[in-house]
Amino acid sequence: MILIKIDALTTTELQYIAQQEGMENWESLERDELIEALEDLYDEQEFEDRPDRDSKVNRNRFCNSLTDFRGKDDIQLELPGVEELPAVYAETSIHLLLRDPYWAYAFWSISPIDRSRIEEEGGIKDLLLRVSMRRSAADDEFFDISVGFDDTDWNINLPEMGCEYSVSLCKMDHEGGLEELCESKTVRTPKCYWTDHLDQLREEPALFKLYFSSLVTKGGIIVDNPTVQEIAASLSSVARS
Amino acid sequence: MAKNRLSLILHAHLPFVRHIEYPRFLEEDWLYESLSETYLPMLRMLRRLRSEGYCFRLTFSMSPTLCAMLADPALQERFIKYLELHKDLGEKEMERCSKEQLECMPLAKMYYDLTLKNLSDFCDLYHNNVLEGFRDLEDSGHIDLITTAATHAYLPLYCDYPTAIKAQVEVAVQSHIRHFKKSPKGFWLPECGYFPGLEEYLRKQEIDWFQVSAHSMLVASEPVRMGDYAPVRCPDGVAAFPRDYHLTSLVWSNTEGYPCDGNYREFYRDIGYDLPMEYIRPYIHEPEVRVFTGYKYWAITGPTNEKRLYRPELAAGKVQEHADNFLYRIRMKNSALDRSLRDGAPFYTLGFDAELFGHWWFEGIDWLEAVIRRASDADDLFLTTPSDYLATFPELQTVQPGYSSWGQGGYSSVWLDGSNAWIYRHIHKAIERMEELAVRFPEQQSLKQRFLNQASREVLLSMASDWPFILHNKTSVGYADKRLRDHLRNFNLVYENMCKNAVNTEWLVKAEKRDNIFPDMDYNIFNPSYNGGQE
Repeated sequence: MILIKIDALTTTELQYIAQQEGMENWESLERDELIEALEDLYDEQEFEDRPDRDSKVNRNRFCNSLTDFRGKDDIQLELPGVEELPAVYAETSIHLLLRDPYWAYAFWSISPIDRSRIEEEGGIKDLLLRVSMRRSAADDEFFDISVGFDDTDWNINLPEMGCEYSVSLCKMDHEGGLEELCESKTVRTPKCYWTDHLDQLREEPALFKLYFSSLVTKGGIIVDNPTVQEIAASLSSVARS
Repeated sequence: MAKNRLSLILHAHLPFVRHIEYPRFLEEDWLYESLSETYLPMLRMLRRLRSEGYCFRLTFSMSPTLCAMLADPALQERFIKYLELHKDLGEKEMERCSKEQLECMPLAKMYYDLTLKNLSDFCDLYHNNVLEGFRDLEDSGHIDLITTAATHAYLPLYCDYPTAIKAQVEVAVQSHIRHFKKSPKGFWLPECGYFPGLEEYLRKQEIDWFQVSAHSMLVASEPVRMGDYAPVRCPDGVAAFPRDYHLTSLVWSNTEGYPCDGNYREFYRDIGYDLPMEYIRPYIHEPEVRVFTGYKYWAITGPTNEKRLYRPELAAGKVQEHADNFLYRIRMKNSALDRSLRDGAPFYTLGFDAELFGHWWFEGIDWLEAVIRRASDADDLFLTTPSDYLATFPELQTVQPGYSSWGQGGYSSVWLDGSNAWIYRHIHKAIERMEELAVRFPEQQSLKQRFLNQASREVLLSMASDWPFILHNKTSVGYADKRLRDHLRNFNLVYENMCKNAVNTEWLVKAEKRDNIFPDMDYNIFNPSYNGGQE
């Protein structure tokens, strides 16, 4: 959490960053053009990182770039005997991490033994992630995501808040038979009381003020959180209509 | 008259960076810059107010990694060298400015004098360890010291690993007791990262309270009677204090905040970047890596390359104006909230990174001083702490805050995105394997015990939230990537050796020397059935 403004950087510093980012025409750009080009570049990267969000470049990302040790790999001496990290570990397992109420991240590995067995058994038609969604003990459903045999991770969109999710890595053979290779632990997406009680917030101005007066800057910017912004947008669209 | 109760929490944290194998190391400057621009000037300001008889209560969160570095004799010696180098630069700058940039001469003198003060305070007053200064202010009742996770791990992403969270909390509390001789009553959640249930780990360490992000109350699964204007009690009894985003952003917004004023000093214009290489070379890093030197002569001015000369007297006027405005806005807010609050007067919790004051916002410490002076003199404002609040108002609504953080998006996406998601495969595996080692090899002695203790340190160091944050922000990516990989590779070496019933002593001696944090580390903490020798 660092305060920073790209506008504050000198033209030389902007050129340095542009050069480090691999911009070909950095020498010919004026200051304003450099700022715009860098913002575009980071905006693009932000979008690639978070396709789910209508993102605007966050200028915080420029922090400390001037003290970046880019391109110098031997910055720490190696200790004796250490080896490179493996790409994956020799086990069949899948893990699920909650990123926010709308997205989770799954990563998995298939052990060499299981890989050999699968190949010996005639290979697979499809490898898929079976995402189980449980609203209550009597109300659950699932959906499948097809993945490649060499994939090892996936971002999963979670359709509903307030549910339990788990994910299984499954193989489908050529006859359509399904085998679960491993299953993740469960994650629970949070349930927000107010998303289901918007009328109450709408009808009681004092209640609305109680919650929102601490979540908005003096310039009217609402705290950066999709749930809060969704509530605010719902209330304002009703107010407009 | 109703009191406006205000709690300021300053979070002092830096990742563990210690590379005494090099004569100078770039990322160690994070510590030296924070010491010379934030911690030493902050302590000077607080001691001055205390000596003038001002009553105030602030809370400082001191991270275990920062405390370890501040108490480290080798880093203390290197900081003295850093100050001496900056003193030399000051002398050279005063000479240069007197010849070719006369208008900057008073500023060069100002920075030179600050360096001398820092040198004197650090060596003579604190005997090289500024933790003494914080202890002293706590002993006199002016500040409360609290802790945070041992290596500042972003805890929601470890919710499947209770032993790892327990280790982060317990090692932090042990570290705090070692440095400050007291148990901490509060716990700063790194990045305000909270998931329901986290409080249970805190309760086991007798922590009374923690802070959460502003929206954690709105996104909770039950309505919260006082919104963000009072703490709540989690079902297990630990209190959660929501941060007031509106008041915080008066200071901490990079578009609207006070530090954006054009009269304040520009952080990013520094002679380390502006002066010719042949002049500045002795004061930057090899081989010709330009860095901040702290000698900065220009005001923010505006979105332009043509900066005005920094004028401290204009900035000082703005400091007073902004302190007045801050208190005015609190009073206005209190009046506006009057009809919304059914359960009494509001309690405002504001949390900041300590380095904002002095380091990023040069005048920030003066602003804080002005706020404290005004609040002490006012009869409707009261600077207090969460611990004091709980002592006065023990009856709180019982409710669980919602899953949240203070990062972009308000959940975990800063620490889990396309740039850094790969790390969790390895860190989670290291935690699982560390648990396995602790179960398979309990209560070891001598070399194996040291070997396993070092493995625990490496796991904890890999969990720091700083590394995925840096990867996300695309700043010192090379360094963060290397640190993460090194800790994990170090851990894997121990795991593989222990599986062969071997100890790599050459590695152990070097690793203990390099990553010497947490001298009391006990690897048994990673055993899921370990209870620390308690019945």
